[in-house]
This record gives sequence, C-alpha cells and structure tokens, in this order.
Amino acid sequence: MTTLDHHTKSARPVPNPQKSLITKLNMGTGLIVGIIFAYVTYKLVRGSNPDWEPTQDINNHNQALIASMLMWSVGFLVGIGAFIGPWRWMIGKDLTAEEQLYLAGDGQGIKRYFKYCTDHKVVGIQYLWGVIAMLAVGGTLAMMIRTNLAMPGAKLVTPSIYNSLVGLHGITMIVAMIVVATGPFGNYIMPIMIGARDMAFPRLNALSWWVLFTAIPVLCSAWFLGGIPTGWTAYAPLSVQAGPGMNAFLCTIIIFAVSTAVAGANITATVVGMRTKGMTWNRVPIFVIGATISVALAVPAFPTFMLSMIQTAMDRTFQTGFFDANAGGSGWLYAHLFWIMGHPEVYVILLPGVAALMEIVPVFVRRPLFSYTSAVVGFAGIAGLSVLVWAHHMYMSGWMPMLNGPFMVTTEMISVPTGLIFLVILGTMWNGRPWMKLPMLGVFAFLWNMLIGGITGLYLSDVPADNYLHGSMYVTAHFHYTLMGAALTGAVAGLAYWYPKMTGRMLNERAGYISFWLIQIGFNVLFLGMFIVGAEGQPRRVADYAQEYGTANMVSTIGAYSIGLGFIILLWAVVHSWRHGKIAPMNPWGAKTLEWTVPYPVPLENFDELPVITSDPYGYGKAAH
Amino acid sequence: MSEHEQFNKVEPTPGERFSKFLKRKDVSSTVAWAFFYTLVFVLVALYLYPRWMPKGLSNEMRSTTRLMVIFTIISAPVCGFVLSMATHAFLRRHKGDTPPADGPGFSTNRLGVATFSVMASILTLTAVIYGLVEMNTAAEASVREAKDAMVVKVVGNQWVWTFEYPESMGGFKSEVLNLPLNKAVVFDIVSADVNHSFWPVQLGVKVDANRLAHTTVTTKPIKLGEIDVKCAELCGLYHAYMETTGAVMTTDDFNKWVITQGGHTA
Repeated sequence: MTTLDHHTKSARPVPNPQKSLITKLNMGTGLIVGIIFAYVTYKLVRGSNPDWEPTQDINNHNQALIASMLMWSVGFLVGIGAFIGPWRWMIGKDLTAEEQLYLAGDGQGIKRYFKYCTDHKVVGIQYLWGVIAMLAVGGTLAMMIRTNLAMPGAKLVTPSIYNSLVGLHGITMIVAMIVVATGPFGNYIMPIMIGARDMAFPRLNALSWWVLFTAIPVLCSAWFLGGIPTGWTAYAPLSVQAGPGMNAFLCTIIIFAVSTAVAGANITATVVGMRTKGMTWNRVPIFVIGATISVALAVPAFPTFMLSMIQTAMDRTFQTGFFDANAGGSGWLYAHLFWIMGHPEVYVILLPGVAALMEIVPVFVRRPLFSYTSAVVGFAGIAGLSVLVWAHHMYMSGWMPMLNGPFMVTTEMISVPTGLIFLVILGTMWNGRPWMKLPMLGVFAFLWNMLIGGITGLYLSDVPADNYLHGSMYVTAHFHYTLMGAALTGAVAGLAYWYPKMTGRMLNERAGYISFWLIQIGFNVLFLGMFIVGAEGQPRRVADYAQEYGTANMVSTIGAYSIGLGFIILLWAVVHSWRHGKIAPMNPWGAKTLEWTVPYPVPLENFDELPVITSDPYGYGKAAH
Repeated sequence: MSEHEQFNKVEPTPGERFSKFLKRKDVSSTVAWAFFYTLVFVLVALYLYPRWMPKGLSNEMRSTTRLMVIFTIISAPVCGFVLSMATHAFLRRHKGDTPPADGPGFSTNRLGVATFSVMASILTLTAVIYGLVEMNTAAEASVREAKDAMVVKVVGNQWVWTFEYPESMGGFKSEVLNLPLNKAVVFDIVSADVNHSFWPVQLGVKVDANRLAHTTVTTKPIKLGEIDVKCAELCGLYHAYMETTGAVMTTDDFNKWVITQGGHTA
C-alpha cells in the first residue's frame, strides 16, 4: 500500500528507485505496449490467410477485434507497470519502501498524473479529468443529436450516423456518470474525510483508474468501426446482427466492469476498515455513506452486465445462440441480465450526487443534518429496493405479464425512501438561511429536477401508463431529469464545493453562476419540451419525426444549446481557476468534516497524526454550542 | 409566574399545540405556498395532460390519460410540500462572502419524520392501488373482449409493419391498419428479425414484437379517427421510419376497404 511503513526494514540491499524499471514506465510506454499487444493479437487470431477479407469472414473478424481490444487493455497495463508490484511479490522480491514511495508519486510533480500512481489524491484528479473528457465527448454527441432533431425532416446526418450518435452518447454518458462523483471525490476526498492515510488497496485504486482509461480508446474506436446502432441498451438480437463497432461496445463494458468491481471493492474496504479512531458509523459523513452504498450496489450489479456482454460477444463470434431465438436462445434473457444491472445502476449514479448535496446543505445553511438516520435509511432503502425492480423496463416486452403487478409495487415503493432523502434536505434547510454560493444553488436545482424526475418515474412505473409512455421521448426526459438534473447537478455542486481542497484555488464564482443558470434553464427547456412530445406520441431514438412535433423539438434544441454554452463556460472556469483562481483558504466554507482540516497541497499521507473523532461532523446550529 | 399559577397551569392538548404551530408565521406562509403549488400541479394535471395526450380511440387510451391526470393530482401535495419548503428557504437566503449565522440546532424531529413517512406511504399506496385496479380492469376487459374479437396478425420486419387479417376475411395482408368501430381486436404480434415494439398510438396499447415469441394485446376501438402506428423499440437503421397509418372506420367503410384489398366480409 502507499502508506509508507517507516519501520519496515528490507533484508535485501535497497535498490535505487531512480534506476528501477518503475521509473521508466508511464502512459507513453503503456500506449506502445498496448498497441503492440493489440496488433499482434489481431494478427494471430486473424490467421495468415493472405486472401482473408473481414467482410467475408465476419465471425473471425469479430473474434480478432474483440481479442485485440481486450489485449490492448492488458498490454497497456503491462506497459504502464500495473503488474510490477504483484510480479515482484510473486517472485519474492516485494517493492522496497523507496519504490513504494516512488509509486505514490512523491516529488514527481505533474508527471505523476501520467504514471501508475498509487496516491489516492492523484487517482482522484485522474478520474476528474477523465470524467470531464467523457462528459465533453458525450455532451458534444448530444448537441449533434439535438441539432439533427431541431426540425422535422432534417438530414444533417444519415440514419446510420444518427443511430451511432445515440448509442455512443448513451454509453459514454452512462460510463461517465457512474464515476462522476465516486471517481474524483470518492478517491480524493473520501479517504481524508474518514481520517485515513490512503485507500485500503492503493495499487488496486490506481488499477481501477487505468483500467477505465483503457476502455476510453476502445469506446472511441466504435466510431471508426461503423458505430453502435443499438443505443446503450444494446438489445439482442439487434446487437448480434450489428456491425464491428458493436465489438467496441462489448469490450468497453467488459473492461469497465472490471474497473468498477475493483473500485467498488476498494472503496467499500476502505470505509469499513480504515475509519479513524472514534469515527463510529453514526459519525461517518453522509457523503461517505452514500458513496459506499452506491459502490457496494455496483459490486453485485455490474458482473451481470459483463456477463451479458460476454454472451453477446460469444453469439457474435461463435454463434452460441444465447440470445438468438433461432438457435433456442432468448432476447428476454439478455433484457433480464441487462436490467438486473441497469436499474440498480441508476441509483449507483444517483446516490453519490445526492450524498454530496447532503454534505453541502448543513455547511451552507449552518444547521445540523436533519435526521441522519433517515438519510441512511433512505439510501439503504433505495439500494435494497433497486435490485427488485428491474423488470419494470420489460412490462411491454411480453415476458410474463402476470409479474407486472409485483414489479409495479416494488418500483413504486422506492418513492418512500426517496421521499426521506427530500425530507432530510428540506428539514436541514428549514428555518436556516442558505448561503447562496454555487454549491447551494445546486441543492435548489436538485430539489426541482428530482421532483419532476421522481413524479414522472411514478407514471412510468405504473403498467397502464407505461403501456402508452414506454419507448417514447417521455422516458428520455424522465431519466435525464434524474441522472442529469439530479445526479450531475449534485456532482457539479460537489465539484464547486471541494474544488478549493482539490486545487488550492477558488472556482471562478461569476463564471460558475452564469454557467449554472444557463445549464439549469436550458435543461428544463430541453426536457420539458421532450415530455410534451413524448406525451403526444413521439418515440425515442428516432432520427426524424412527424411535423406535429416540430415546435417542441425546436424549443428543446434551443435548450440544449443553452446547456452546451453553460458547460463550456463551466469548463473554462474549472481550467482557468486551476491556475489563476483566487488562492483558497484551508476551510473556505467553514465546514466541519476532516478534509477541511488538512492544508493544500494535501500531504502524501494526509495527516501528520491521525485525528480522533469525538462527535458527528454536523455540529452546527445554536443549540449545538 | 407564582407557584399557584404554575400549579394550575394546564399542559396544552396536542390539538392546541398543532393549532399554535400552524399560526407561526414561518409555518403559515409555508402552508400557503404549499397550497399554491399544489393547486398549480392540479391545474397542470387537469388542463395540460388531456391536451398533450392524443384523442383516445379506445378505452385503453382514455384510461391512460385519466391515469396521468390522477397520478399528477396524487403527486401534487408532495410537490406542494417540497416546493413550499424550498421557497421558504430561498426567501431567507443569505448573500455575501461570509457564512450566515447558525440556524436552529435541532437535528431531528421524530414526529415530523414519522408524519412525513406515513403521508408518503399513504400517497404511494394510493398510487399503487389505483394502478393495480386499472391494470386488473384492463386485463379483465381484454379477456372479455377477446372472446369475439377479430384477430389481426402483426409482423414487425425491418422496417415495415405488416397486418394479416383473419382467414374469415380472406387472410389478406396490408401495410395499413384499418379497424372497424366497436369491434374488439386482438393483435397477435411477432417479429421476423430483431425486437420491435408495436404502438398504435391512439389506441393506447403497446407490446414488443419478438422473434419466434408471439405476444398479444387486445383493444376495442370506440371512436372514429386516424391511427398512427409506430415502432417504439430501436430496431436498426430505419427505425425512425418504421411507421404507418390506419383508421378506425364504420363497419360499412371497413367492409368496403376489405373488398378493395382482395378480401371478403366475414
């Protein structure tokens, strides 16, 4: 682990870390080795037939592509040095203390962000920029989608390109949103919040980021291989019949699932085992609770996603027929595997963002968090119920209509623990005086967006209403209200809140306010318009639509441009303030959680002496003094 | 207060405490906001949804529109509560570069949490029961109507819908969905390739077309009008264009149309 044990004495002569292989490896060597692995694998699987044509032997072409994409990931990890530690351990020559210190990025400046660095703060920043890059790509794709939909009959892109835009936008945003809060804040902030020196498994922490990183080029390659024509749900048998771009989708998910499993296990182990003395469960900051429940939920959910992708890959390469009705398989089997992951995944995305907002409210209202127990019960209740609701996505599939009723009941019951989340935030705000800084604005935006997202979710969970609304733009608007309007708003508020601790600078306030209003107004214009066309009968994922939906679609597109402009301004603020922002004091918000007790830059092991906790972190309010 | 007065002091009843609570300025203004927002959402339910949703040509479509209205009304008090609390907080907002003074220090209110939880559960239960009753009513109607219904086979094929009318009408095929008024119809749906979702919009029913697995849905057109048939499941390149039209016709007009298609009246 990164945490250097100063008492450890190596029995062997200490090698100079500057001469060790570790120092030679970085992202560049990773790219080179990864490309070599991918190329060699492709050639080996393809065989040596000089007359071979990918279009004539589709199975073999798919096999070669899938194998080379997965081996790219392995090769990159080899090239960046991810396996040096385990290898040295296996041959009985574990890393020396100096080498561990080097792995932790000590004294390496900006270079450590391009290396296999085990410091949780470096991993947090890597995740942050990775998420920003993915959101930028996904957002650009969304703008292209909305531009094409601005007017009926628009032929800006072909139907083939449009379907690819939809698929790539969907999966890029889903991947980005799953790690949008737990990636940057779960890695950078959370260990400090619980008074730990690092994550429980720092090498695994670095591994989770770099594995995720290797998924990004794989996903991008889909564009050059003919795109993803299936949307992010990738329903079989459409995904089995799709072109070679589909292989990139499958491999992205397989790689991403590995990353998520590693990160989820690590974060859970860290919170369970590394809380500082006195931090009993009822004194754990609520963000830590929310993020932990979220990743713990991901640990069982994502393997089924990975399994469905492996089976799809086998159908595509070996004609195994898992999901092919002609071969005795079933598309419903795919739908089950997908949604057993897919619905918990919504809450994997939502909970950390909401938890970040709960962390923000007491600080900016100067009141104790209202009913901490309700918050925990709310999170746990949502997580628990979320694994029992997957088939509400399949009401209209024709699978087992007699089970629609039970799934309707479990789905609608989620509104009770969700209500507790609202109660905690509103109760904390009650009779306080909210300090209207950017993070607090996010709380107000969340309340409105989540309210709309939640209520429209109630309609969709109801079988008779879903009978009409399923597969329409109404669904698209609903899940954007929850995932973007609530979860992303929470993550952006979290960024504004923790930005001073992560960068040592204050985020440009004026730019932050402008971006906030552009995004939130644009968001509501966009998706309220989408609710209307959905209720009127416009299906989702269509490249074109009837004349009657034209006005609302144009309004939605205007809203989308407002969001786009808002995010460009926010990105400028983040980049500009990183170098030129006002120097942040150690605790600019007057918060009471542990991360605000350490200076910037945060020392390698966070604390000179580990703190001892004697009370909960929300001791605000008159009666508390 | 003298000892005698203290001795004679009567503890207020829960009703008196609640009345006093409601008279507090912060509470009364929040309650007023809550009524306002609730009313807004009720008006949205009553006015907007019936205008957004298509004119129903079947009981299924009409019950869906009614359900959207009722669910919005059920949700309106929740919206009122959330938005009134948020408004109350927003009106007390603090600006400036220094944090506001500390607010009240209480960290929970068991009665408040219990009341909220019970109210949320009751509203949820209401929605659940209403939905189950509607679903059951629709299922019973389907079974009842299916007994003497016309069976139309629907085949989803990238990217065309094909409708095959009963053998008793000549078993002709059409890419237009015309139906007679007041005659129940069972759609027997299957896909020839990938998943599609059969959606005759104004009839308010929808079900997937799966490869080799037949699905059925029953409806009864009760009003004359045009039908837009769409595909609600992404099915590949021309998914957006997998649509057709049709109409609910009088029996005479339907019979005439059947004959033009090479069929005959049943």
